[in-house]
Amino acid sequence: MEKTISFKLNGRDVSITRNPLSRLLDVLRDDFGMHGVKEGCSEGECGACSILLNGRMVTPCLIPLGAADGQEIMTVEGISATPEGDCVVQAFADGGAVQCGFCIPGMVVAAYSLLKKNPDPTDEDIRLGISGNLCRCTGYDLIVESIKLAARRGRDLWKK
Amino acid sequence: MTTDDISKSVRRIDAVSKSNGSIKYMCDYELPDYLWARLVRSSIPRGTIREIHLPDLPEGYRFVSARDIPAGGQNQLSMIANDWRCFADGDVRYVGETIGILCGPDKTVLEDLYEKIKIDYEEAECAVTIDEGLACKGGAFVNGDNIHCRLKLEKGENVDDVFARADKVVEETVETGYQEHVYLETNAAACKKIGSKYQFLASCQCPFYIRKSVAPILGIKPEDIVVQQTTTGGAFGGKEHFPDVLCGPLLLAAYVTGRGVKIVFDREEDIEFSVKRHPSKVVFKTALDRNGDILAMDSKVYYNVGAYLASSFVVLQRGCFHVAGCYEFPSFRTEGFGVATNTFPSCAFRGFGAPQTLFAVETHMCHIAEMYGRDPLELKSKYFIKQGGVTSTNGRVVERVMIPEMLEQVLVASDYCRKAREYKPGSGRGIGISFYNHGGAFTGNGESAIIKARFRLKKYKDGHVELFCGQTEMGQGFHTILPKIAAHVLEIPREMVIFDDPNTDRVPDSGPTAASRSTMIVGYLCEKAAKLAKERYKTEDEFEIETQYEHPEGYPWDQSSFQGYAYIGYGWGVCAVEVEVDPCTGEVTTLGVWSSHDCGRLIDELIVHGQTNGGIMQGLGWASTEVLDNVKGHFKQTSISDYIIPTSMDYPKQECFYVDNPYQWGPSGAKGMGELVFNGSAAAYIDALSRAIGKRISSIPCPTERVMDLMLHGEGLDSALNAAH
Amino acid sequence: MEEVTCYIPRTLDEALEILSKDDCTILAGGSDLMVSHKRTIGVDPRFSKSVMIIRNLPEIRKIYTEGGECHIGAASTSSEIAENPLVPWHLRQAASRMGAVALRNSATIAGNIANASPKGDTPGPLYLLDARVKIRSAKESREEPVSDFIVKFREIDLKPGEMITEVVVPLSEDDFDYVFWHKVGTRKANAISKVTVSMALKFEDGGSVVRDFRVSATATGSKTNRSRDVENIIIGKEISEDLIEEVAEAFDGIISPRAMPEFRRETCRRCIRRFLSEAERRRAAGDRRKMIDTYDGYHMPGAPEVR
Repeated sequence: MEKTISFKLNGRDVSITRNPLSRLLDVLRDDFGMHGVKEGCSEGECGACSILLNGRMVTPCLIPLGAADGQEIMTVEGISATPEGDCVVQAFADGGAVQCGFCIPGMVVAAYSLLKKNPDPTDEDIRLGISGNLCRCTGYDLIVESIKLAARRGRDLWKK
Repeated sequence: MTTDDISKSVRRIDAVSKSNGSIKYMCDYELPDYLWARLVRSSIPRGTIREIHLPDLPEGYRFVSARDIPAGGQNQLSMIANDWRCFADGDVRYVGETIGILCGPDKTVLEDLYEKIKIDYEEAECAVTIDEGLACKGGAFVNGDNIHCRLKLEKGENVDDVFARADKVVEETVETGYQEHVYLETNAAACKKIGSKYQFLASCQCPFYIRKSVAPILGIKPEDIVVQQTTTGGAFGGKEHFPDVLCGPLLLAAYVTGRGVKIVFDREEDIEFSVKRHPSKVVFKTALDRNGDILAMDSKVYYNVGAYLASSFVVLQRGCFHVAGCYEFPSFRTEGFGVATNTFPSCAFRGFGAPQTLFAVETHMCHIAEMYGRDPLELKSKYFIKQGGVTSTNGRVVERVMIPEMLEQVLVASDYCRKAREYKPGSGRGIGISFYNHGGAFTGNGESAIIKARFRLKKYKDGHVELFCGQTEMGQGFHTILPKIAAHVLEIPREMVIFDDPNTDRVPDSGPTAASRSTMIVGYLCEKAAKLAKERYKTEDEFEIETQYEHPEGYPWDQSSFQGYAYIGYGWGVCAVEVEVDPCTGEVTTLGVWSSHDCGRLIDELIVHGQTNGGIMQGLGWASTEVLDNVKGHFKQTSISDYIIPTSMDYPKQECFYVDNPYQWGPSGAKGMGELVFNGSAAAYIDALSRAIGKRISSIPCPTERVMDLMLHGEGLDSALNAAH
Repeated sequence: MEEVTCYIPRTLDEALEILSKDDCTILAGGSDLMVSHKRTIGVDPRFSKSVMIIRNLPEIRKIYTEGGECHIGAASTSSEIAENPLVPWHLRQAASRMGAVALRNSATIAGNIANASPKGDTPGPLYLLDARVKIRSAKESREEPVSDFIVKFREIDLKPGEMITEVVVPLSEDDFDYVFWHKVGTRKANAISKVTVSMALKFEDGGSVVRDFRVSATATGSKTNRSRDVENIIIGKEISEDLIEEVAEAFDGIISPRAMPEFRRETCRRCIRRFLSEAERRRAAGDRRKMIDTYDGYHMPGAPEVR
């Protein structure tokens, strides 16, 4: 059974006719080409596919397309095109946060989501904020440092 | 920007495109005209295939298996050994063994068909553990004794003679479990015949390995195959040989269907049906004098190799070469055995056999010290090997060993001495320390006799320089490191240096991206080429330079007897870990992690730092939460929610130190380091934990419930180790 | 395989109407159902009957207090619960440590209850605080204690046509002098429970006699364990070492962990001993700090404070 589902994707109104029980992850990747949304575990455990749904970080591997009807979605593609998102991306690059990179788009979403809520996080706040994003390469330390760097550099951006 | 100080960090070339999601991994290629594929696998650990019941396959869907291998082709994957079959044929030897590959255009239809495939087996009794393999449970299926491979090393006075006159000879068994790589990007590859050649796209470490491994299936030459590495989302050894296991069937499917064929594993498939770190068992027999000082150490090293040998003999060798740790014992002997079991073949994983024996020797040393009421550090300090010291293969340590300097850094930062004194055994707090090394590059004369790495540098008219070699970027930073080395020598901006993901038709074979050899060996070839290019760069428009590996003279190695210089350059490490244990639950909180490493001159501080953090944390996971059980041939943990790797909350921020100890034959003095940093944290963690609970711990992993079990029933630290008989 | 019907109602009435005609699988957050029905990458999940997505129904996503009780809309997510100071402390604790950060923005309280997993995070506090579920169908509404609603492993008392609309929690930490909640997870965050113990205790005003004591544990049997008989051992008495042992042993008698039995039993025993003895010590010392954990100096990052 197909349904037409409409939502806002990275600021743009879109709609798609598809099985509303399709995983939002597959829809974003296959139908909208949002390949920055990575599939790492298929069960909401690794955070690689993290996106924002109405400003809240969620994992679209757990969300049926139908639940996105009328909602607002931001993916890493949309986020990194904003000044705040770019601030995170640049800080990740300068801070040594990136190794294999597969978890990183999800980490960028987590960092963005955290800093939007809490522009001046402690180390512990940051570690909590990214605790649902698994990384097997970095041991997280340089990701934490990079998020601190993004908070420092983007001070005015985040407090907007 | 030129890079004057090679250690000063630069921005990684791939950092922005990986952060904003624009870089493409294998799963991001659309390849619309390719067929999807699914591997059909054995669901039993041992037996014979009676019949394969296929559903009616709609047009465009094919099931491809061993019987489709053309005349002149061989049903084998040519890894280091050639015993791993591309397809099970007649019998199956492990759960997950590839029986066939199902392919077709629509993924959902393919999945429906896949679920309808039924295979009848005649199941036989299987051997799963090392002990079951040794006991030939179900009957031996390899070499008549289930020993895939073995080796023996001896050094100094005959061990048995020392045992005869020792005050005490103690025995202890130390064991380690499976470890799953959990690279965040699952395995994926695609294959299509384009023109006269089969073209692969693959997430992999070693494109040349794939070519060599799968070509015999069609009876073609490796040169008839082109492998293009795609951006690889983590590997850690898990994509060293394992991609061959996907690529073999893909090649045959592409041959049979005449179409492009692609496969992307989901996570469950990737955990259930992929290679793992070898489980190990090391049985020590150690001769002690009255004070508990070590006179001789004998060990038997058993690795669970699984159903096929593949690369495991080399893993076992490295294990045995590292079982003496950072120590020089007056008398030493070890025997290694690669045990056949009906389990998924074990393969490379960061450390390649060294972490198991290093954990074992460190842990055994702690237990000897504690049995005599001595601080493990004091005992270990007596045996540190030094420059010129004789190694377990009767070679010598070529470089200066800076363990004393590194130890000092870690002692000061961790406040080890005070804490070790003040935290009483069983007090709930403990600090532990470990020492470790890692021989850089291939063992012995492997680099000169087997690999023979070649490297090419090309200068273009516009001033750009391109580097050509088979080394892959899998997260470790090599795409940044190598151009940096060239730019540093040529004194040109790094942006002028091009270095792409390797394509086997474009680059010379510089050997695998493994064994911590890329920077040390290939980086050195790059530096050499750049030095040769430097004068010509200014005067010539366009030219190419090729360099080839040359083994330094005077460091012989005999591969038949395993005697001589196993490694010319080692990385060295010291790690301290402090923990606190919840008295109600056994939960462990890690309070501090301090390390110091000698990896020669650092090529890029931030990259080395990131490698250190990640390696140490993988080791901590291996020691604690990463439980992977194999029950009747099936891995019990099959998802990321039950195979537990560390999150950002599990360990505190690490303090990392380095010593500057330039290596004569490395680029700017760099040595290998990617594996070294994994090798020691498990032992330090277990040392700390065992002191905190006052109980001896002789195996890993040690998750919360085991800590509780030890608190209730474990043996005290000061209890005597068993006397050997 | 035929694709099933999927409903996306806009209002609660519409949802109940649909339910009255078609016995649907109710999908709220999706965090359990989308995993249990998944197939593989790029292939749609497979459900055996119609599905109704209620994630975005505004009527069942509110949290408020009324008559001294906390009302939590069925589709309230774990993070909405964890962040809302109106929610009793034990439940905020459990919600704040459920799974991954992103999962907590999807997983709902009704889903967590209806999943009836013995390892579920919210049932422990809900049993402890005598919480009830409000259930509606197109024609009727009823209430049932959570502890009865969850019948056993993977089985709930929900009839065709019914759905959970609200969870009502009558008690909170304000009703107690000392509270305890400790989850032993598979790791420090993003974890599944190996065992979780929730406790609360109140002394008679100004006295040393226990007026109320409660203890529940999860992942210790086929469903959350709690027994008023066990609690009654110490209610109306002063805390003594003998009584503590008696409670610990009696609680041990009502749990039935299958895997890791000794670990789970011993952890419950030690947590009970710790909580009761520490509560008594604090009472005697006039120490009114309410939260008690497994040892002094225990730190759980990001844990909600008591109000």
